[in-house]
Amino acid sequence: MKILAIETATPASSVALGVDDELLAMSFQVDRRGHVGFLVPAMEFCFKQTGWKPADIDAVVVDVGPGLFTGIRAGLATAQGVAAATGAQLVGLTSLDALAFRAATGHRMIWPVVDMRREEVAVAAYRPVPGGVMKEGAPEVVSPAGFAGLLDATDSDILVVGDHQALPDGTLRGLHRVRTGRPRWPSADVLLELAAGRLARGEPAAPDEVRPLYLREPDVVINWKDFREEAAWKQG
Amino acid sequence: MSDESPVVLGIETSCDETGIGVVAGSKLLSNVLASQVDQHARFGGVVPEVAARAHVEAIRYLTHRALAQAGLHQSDLDGVAATRGPGLVGALVVGYAFAKSLAWALDKPFVGVNHLEGHLLAPMLSNAGFEPPAVVLLASGGHTVVIHMKAWGEYESLGATIDDAAGEALDKTARFLGLGYPGGPAIDREAESGDPAAVAFPRALADRPYDFSFSGLKTSLITYVREHRDAGTLPAISDVAASLQEAVVDVLVEKTFNAVDAMGVKVVGGGGGVMANRRLRQRLEEESSARGVKLFIPDTELCTDNGAMIAMAGAQRLTRGETTDLGSDVSVSLRLGA
Ligand SMILES: [Zn+2]
Repeated sequence: MKILAIETATPASSVALGVDDELLAMSFQVDRRGHVGFLVPAMEFCFKQTGWKPADIDAVVVDVGPGLFTGIRAGLATAQGVAAATGAQLVGLTSLDALAFRAATGHRMIWPVVDMRREEVAVAAYRPVPGGVMKEGAPEVVSPAGFAGLLDATDSDILVVGDHQALPDGTLRGLHRVRTGRPRWPSADVLLELAAGRLARGEPAAPDEVRPLYLREPDVVINWKDFREEAAWKQG
Repeated sequence: MSDESPVVLGIETSCDETGIGVVAGSKLLSNVLASQVDQHARFGGVVPEVAARAHVEAIRYLTHRALAQAGLHQSDLDGVAATRGPGLVGALVVGYAFAKSLAWALDKPFVGVNHLEGHLLAPMLSNAGFEPPAVVLLASGGHTVVIHMKAWGEYESLGATIDDAAGEALDKTARFLGLGYPGGPAIDREAESGDPAAVAFPRALADRPYDFSFSGLKTSLITYVREHRDAGTLPAISDVAASLQEAVVDVLVEKTFNAVDAMGVKVVGGGGGVMANRRLRQRLEEESSARGVKLFIPDTELCTDNGAMIAMAGAQRLTRGETTDLGSDVSVSLRLGA
């Protein structure tokens, strides 16, 4: 099965092409604002390497978040464009899954971190199992102190991966069971591997089930003063 | 450009409407829209993150519907166009990224279109005879600008608002009056039974022939209401709405025809959501016929943000052999003619 993978949920963007879980071509860059300009040229590069045409693709896998909202939407819109043009099926995976999967070695529990800005991070716990990882609970958005509290409350050895550099200095200090490691960013080659497994097990989602995983409500600043003025007329 | 080619799909996501349209040359084949007005109404204005989220939910389905309504398969397209700017970055990205990858995967040319050029060319979609040289007034919640269209693709912005857009001023004043969101239609309805001469609201920037300023309108409304409420001399709300509307319409019409007279054109166009205002349309028609110039205002659904106008502008650029690099990004403050 020929798979195109698209990753833009963090400052790192990447595109990969492969047959099942075998990587054939990949393009990668780190530029927080570069997602939209990167994607099509990166796809062109990968297709040129493999000699494939877009119509050859069986599935498009895309990172649906959590992460940068605009990046997530750029990736998902791009994946939808390719899927609409080619009829390829769409698969959505999370950035936390991709980070944990790449880090899956040893015995430590894996806690991937994705920066959500405004002094919050998205995290989730994964247990290494033969051939991958098993998620232990739903992803959540926490403050750095809240994250330290979650780690402190477990009694296992822990590997923190992902963008832990986004945490303030000293956040993990004193947590003796915790080590930090790589990767820092999710990447398309990992999505490819994860999706190949999922497709082989016959688990693809319907296209409209592949939606962004924001984990935060939209920011709405209501001008309450203006809203109260509405009543001015009726009182008068 | 011949009348019925090229066949172009246009995608518009610069603000709060997901608009997809298909044209064949200057012929409209389909125009579908997912409006988010209800989603934004409870906040009294457009919330950028809410807009961006709604676009990503709607875009694939709407594209499918626009093609189906046009009776076309995507392989029938000669090109894909999308709004590149100006607009809200998170909203623009959705349509632009989708359109680029769709064009690339279909192996069709891609054109990034200036949103304002879409509005400028929209009159062609429902009227034969709209052509340069012309003066066009674009008035919406996002922009208020008078443009001299010298030739196809050659535009000069003569003047614009220095603060709020006309639609924004109507939204703000309607909200103060408790008339709801969006403000334009609410004021239009309320003004119907009111006296436009009841209150003398200011007409700003009389000394600058083509520029607008609407930010003072809300302040003078608030001052007026407070003073007259205390004195117990508040007129009917319909009179206030009609007077406000007249103040906005007066300057829009005056500055447009300042440009018509100075440029000596015989064709006038209108676009943007504020063009739905009945009083504005009536006044533009009166002034046009008094001068013997031809007025072109598209149907309301082609005045407000829509995909067909983007498809139309894209078709014209494709005909001139212009395409846009697939490595390009959106441009939130894209200038007309850039
Ligand atoms: Zn507009």
